[in-house]
Amino acid sequence: MEYLIHILIISGIYVILTLSLNLIVGFTGLAALGHIAFACVGAYTSSLLALNLGVSPWIGLLIGAILASVLGAIVSFPSLRLKGDYLAIATFGLGVIVYSVAKNWVSFTRGPMGLPGIPSFKLLGYEINNVWAYLVLVLIFVVITYVVIRNITKSPFGRILTGIREDEIATKAMGKNVNKHKLIVFVVGAFFAGIAGSLYAHYITFIDPSSFTIMESIAVLLMVVFGGMASLGGSFIGAFLLVILPELLRFLGMPSSVAAPLRQMIYGLLLVILMIWRPQGLMGKYKFK
Amino acid sequence: MEYGKKFCKDKNMFNQLLTNGIVVGCAYVLVGLSFCIIYKTIKFFHFAHGVVYAAGAYLAYTFFILLKINPLISFFLSIVIAGLLGVSIDRFVYLPLRKHKTSNLVFLLASFGVFIFLQNLLQLIFGAQILTLKTGSIKEGHHFLGAIITDTQILIVISSIVLFFFTWLLIQKTKLGKAIRAVSDDPIGARVVGINSEKIIMIAFTIGSALAGVAGILISLETNIEPTMGMNAILKGIIASIIGGIGSIPGALFGGLFLGLAENLGIWQIQAGWKDAIAFVILILFLLLRPSGIMGVKTEKEKI
Repeated sequence: MEYLIHILIISGIYVILTLSLNLIVGFTGLAALGHIAFACVGAYTSSLLALNLGVSPWIGLLIGAILASVLGAIVSFPSLRLKGDYLAIATFGLGVIVYSVAKNWVSFTRGPMGLPGIPSFKLLGYEINNVWAYLVLVLIFVVITYVVIRNITKSPFGRILTGIREDEIATKAMGKNVNKHKLIVFVVGAFFAGIAGSLYAHYITFIDPSSFTIMESIAVLLMVVFGGMASLGGSFIGAFLLVILPELLRFLGMPSSVAAPLRQMIYGLLLVILMIWRPQGLMGKYKFK
Repeated sequence: MEYGKKFCKDKNMFNQLLTNGIVVGCAYVLVGLSFCIIYKTIKFFHFAHGVVYAAGAYLAYTFFILLKINPLISFFLSIVIAGLLGVSIDRFVYLPLRKHKTSNLVFLLASFGVFIFLQNLLQLIFGAQILTLKTGSIKEGHHFLGAIITDTQILIVISSIVLFFFTWLLIQKTKLGKAIRAVSDDPIGARVVGINSEKIIMIAFTIGSALAGVAGILISLETNIEPTMGMNAILKGIIASIIGGIGSIPGALFGGLFLGLAENLGIWQIQAGWKDAIAFVILILFLLLRPSGIMGVKTEKEKI
């Protein structure tokens, strides 16, 4: 039972990542490939604050999310000049740079040795270290993310995002500030990804750079595309299915040296199949142009 | 005296890093060149090219080390199979996409999918451990201007110069090269004058993938074979191409050498682990400030 709850918690964290990436990729049409970098910043910020300065994880979560937003603002600069696959390669590069900093700045992040013993969240003197309590905490954040992103996309602001996706020049001609909107989209998306990273760090209580590789970014992008571009319900389905599917391999009794590459192979195959037969995903309405 | 000694040591250090930079740069030139030939005809980032490169090294390992076949025959076989692998990726994945007339981004994502699938297939078959093509004892390299260069490194430099020259001749001086350039400049115009663009794409994939196989084998003679080797290679190949001007053959030469030297001279001051970060910082600066690269044509900018 605890294992099942664990899977639900991990799926919840991925749902937050997927929803926030869907805002950037699905709703605004900006191909960003380095989403896990924001989670990395969030996770490392709140963990280092808690371990070195004894800052409460709640405050660490907020500071981590804000720093991730700052990185999001930086990442939005390439999106002002680059499009399509060039933007994808540039954001991919920023993802590699953040990973490289986490791995090589050993005196600060402890590099590949990782950060062990990250404290859990505390509420009214009780430590949230039991899986049920943590599931509730993650679900609360999932609901917050969903509500915020739903409201953004259903508002006039969201219609401008659709405009940027469908025809950027026309949107500009209507007098809308396209650059400002791209900046805000990246800041909001990175903020929630930072929260997801921080939730992950305080749940697992150990992080190292290998959790934030570029493959994870591609996995999150696959969840967005699989569930459906510009579909919030699709993001839930995409994240849940793609977290649960590889776990089934475990029940088939495969050793991890087989299960790990097999999981990646399934992801790779699924990406190819989706691109050929259904580039808009299960519930999506929009495909990459 | 003390100062002089330190200076001399520093100078040797500099020469060594310069030599390393040129050797690594030549390896990047090979990967960039093979990527460039394919890019010329299809105009998207064929990311799975990296796994073709890795497959070349693993095939050589299978034939040469596991099956103990004569090295020349086994390398030849691996290069041919790498070429076929590249063509099959094009036929089975990119051809259906071309029929749908999808965007470059869809091609890139599909290419990522192929890459992840095949890389993990390699890991499943051969395991995640590091393998090597090296046999026999380790020889000390030659001393050259205070730097040390090994036989394999000389082989890498010479082969990349030779292969570069032949590729350049092929593209610039032959009828096939002319057809490739025609498809690259104007696919519809090429079809109007009777060039079968699908055939040209297949030929470009064969040549490019075979070259990637050559690069994979050469580099694994110098370093090791591991499943993730393709990722690093294709990223550096793409970066070298973008720096030089994407789709330009002399650009691939220039970009590869520039990247190799920048990375290796960069670690004179910073730790070796930062190489990737240096490469990507250069890439992003180029994408933002000069997306057409050093030797690229200005009109490329329209597409970006």
